[in-house]
Amino acid sequence: MRGQLAPYVFLSPTLVLVTLFFFIPLIMVFILSFTSLDMTNFGILEWWRPVNWNLDNYVKIFTNRFFSRILGNTIMYVALTLALFNVGMALVIALITTHIKRRTGFAFRVLWFLPRITPVVVYTMMWRALAGPAPMGVLNKYFLGPLGIGGGEYLLNTHPWVFIFLVNGFIGASFGMILFSSAIEAIPKDYTTASKVDGATTWQTIRYVELPMIKWPLLFVTTYQTLSLLTSFEQIMLLTDGGPGLYQTEVWALTAYHRALTSYFGNTQWGYGAAWSVVLVIIGIVMAVIYLRVFKFGELVEEPKIDQL
Amino acid sequence: MKRLFLLMLIGCFVVAGGLLTLAQDTETITLTVRCRAKPPMEDWRGNNFILAAEELNADLEAAGDPRRVEVVINQDNIDWGDYVTEFVLSYGAGEEPDIWLTGHEYIGVQAEAGRIIPLDELMKEFPGLNNVIDSLWDSTMYKGEIWGVPQDAEARPLYFNKALLKELGWSANKIAALPGKIEWGEFTLYDMLAVAKEAVDKGVVADGNGFWTRPKNGPDFTAFYYAFGGDTIDAATGKLVFDEAAGLKYYQFFYDAAQAYGSMGCLGLGWGDAWHPGVSGSKVLFWIGGTWQWAEWAEAYLKDLGGEDYMWETFGFALIPAAEQGGQPNSLTHPLAFLISSQCEHPDLALALIDKVTDYGPNTRHAIASTHLGILKGQTEYKFYKVSRLLSEALYMLAYTTFLPNNPYWGSYSSLVYEALAATVGGDFTPHEAVDFVVDGLKRELGDNVIIR
Repeated sequence: MRGQLAPYVFLSPTLVLVTLFFFIPLIMVFILSFTSLDMTNFGILEWWRPVNWNLDNYVKIFTNRFFSRILGNTIMYVALTLALFNVGMALVIALITTHIKRRTGFAFRVLWFLPRITPVVVYTMMWRALAGPAPMGVLNKYFLGPLGIGGGEYLLNTHPWVFIFLVNGFIGASFGMILFSSAIEAIPKDYTTASKVDGATTWQTIRYVELPMIKWPLLFVTTYQTLSLLTSFEQIMLLTDGGPGLYQTEVWALTAYHRALTSYFGNTQWGYGAAWSVVLVIIGIVMAVIYLRVFKFGELVEEPKIDQL
Repeated sequence: MKRLFLLMLIGCFVVAGGLLTLAQDTETITLTVRCRAKPPMEDWRGNNFILAAEELNADLEAAGDPRRVEVVINQDNIDWGDYVTEFVLSYGAGEEPDIWLTGHEYIGVQAEAGRIIPLDELMKEFPGLNNVIDSLWDSTMYKGEIWGVPQDAEARPLYFNKALLKELGWSANKIAALPGKIEWGEFTLYDMLAVAKEAVDKGVVADGNGFWTRPKNGPDFTAFYYAFGGDTIDAATGKLVFDEAAGLKYYQFFYDAAQAYGSMGCLGLGWGDAWHPGVSGSKVLFWIGGTWQWAEWAEAYLKDLGGEDYMWETFGFALIPAAEQGGQPNSLTHPLAFLISSQCEHPDLALALIDKVTDYGPNTRHAIASTHLGILKGQTEYKFYKVSRLLSEALYMLAYTTFLPNNPYWGSYSSLVYEALAATVGGDFTPHEAVDFVVDGLKRELGDNVIIR
């Protein structure tokens, strides 16, 4: 009896935390998404009673005139940040830093890691300052100005997406960089040595030996970062707040935040915002399932085909 | 020895008993005051309560009232939306401030939800409040009752850059005459756009910088809708109104401004890093701002160039021009008001404090420091109010002022109207599409709570 209980005792702190801070809020957000709870009826509307539940918020989302723009922005933001930085650049950095002197590679990775350990507000504000008008903005003053290529005074207004990709990418790449470089370093040296003996070039070694052997970290980073990017909005909020034009850089998660929690005249619509987040949760689950199917995640967790040593 | 000990013991009891009685005689009541204030210009909004509490305690003592007041002030410069959310959520948790300073347009929604109290009855015991200018009480009325005490007011003028007009070839006399021409309806909104376009064409300002509004949603836009004959509230029913014909002219104006007159390159800019540096840095010819921003520019942006002296030489201000020749110019005031929470246990003391700060001395301190207009009758004659040139010169605008409506659904209404405006300026909507978008949205979101005319 004692032995049977022990695992549950050890699991209980996690169970309590996950229940309190994930499942209960998830259920509440799900219920809220069917209500019209907002600033005008908070404390009046009995949102927990099924009689007050309906699908109006979902109808509003899918008939929104700017729905396609927000969806398009989200797809572009997730796909390009993922391809160019979170997986693409992370892989390039990992490959380069594992093919040069170990200590130099390590030092470079530490430097690249600095934005991740900088508080996100400080980090983003530094980018805002960089992109600001001359004489404050470093990019305008020292690079674009002397080169005579202009770029306008408010770079965040003229090229908002460039900055959104850069700001997210520099942080995002560090996550994959660490995982990929440790995976590459874990590949037994015999394989790479054997390929070199067989006359393989560096590119051939990478393409035919190293990349296939870090397939699982690649799958994990792609899946994890897709879901992470889908729900991330803090850098965009701090950089452009979805602007400068109407919904120009607004992504799905930022819309949910704006609808639920911000408004100049305080008409925050908690129910409507919750509906936007529920759709996002569903998109996230569908994406996760697709990834796991496509990348055959089942194989990763299969029993080894050889006897255990 | 034994007797001495006994005497000491009795002495201790007497002193302790005395202290206990004294403590029981007075009861200290903590009242919290929440203000949105931009430091340092607007600090008097909250700080006046420190002096008011001292005065009130003296009054209480003289009147034999055992209560004493201690105030806790919480003021900062967070966004309006967050500020309102904070009040609503803290009210739900029973931790809201007793006195809440906020824009008058929030009264409708808070009154409807029962989070604030009507003040008519309580105010009868504070005749000093009768000094508040009568028309300002209209802004704090909802369903026939008064729910807040006005704290300040302002004008939202059309600012113009004199130096840039000179570059454009305007004489000093012509520049000086501009506010008068606007007041008499001889210089219209489209005349302004024409000058803005000329400035862009001649390279005096960059494309997009001929005329600017604020960069995000806010009260100012409503003044333009009023200028084109729009109405926001139905006097008979108290319901919100959207006038399609006025709305069409309103969106046409902003569409033209952005697409044809080199203006409106302001939407989406950050306040601190682009908008204020733009207007105060002589990069914009015409712009809509508030009188309170005058103090902000002098203090935060132009101190090195000479502050107010530089500004009087470089900037001028006038009413928002009429839409048509001979029409009526306007301005919009957005009074802030002190509201009292319905969960406040001592509303009489809260109002007594508000009464103390609604006096010539405290209110003038705030008005001068923040360049807000006074709210009291005869305040312009008050010795210390008269020292501000801006407040004296902008005062005539109150005769042309308009208000936002007090209605619980104003937030949703305003968001939709602004969204269409941003789409029009960005070229996503034609003026007709903007009106259709607003009408559809209002009908869907507000149903019977809005009248479409």
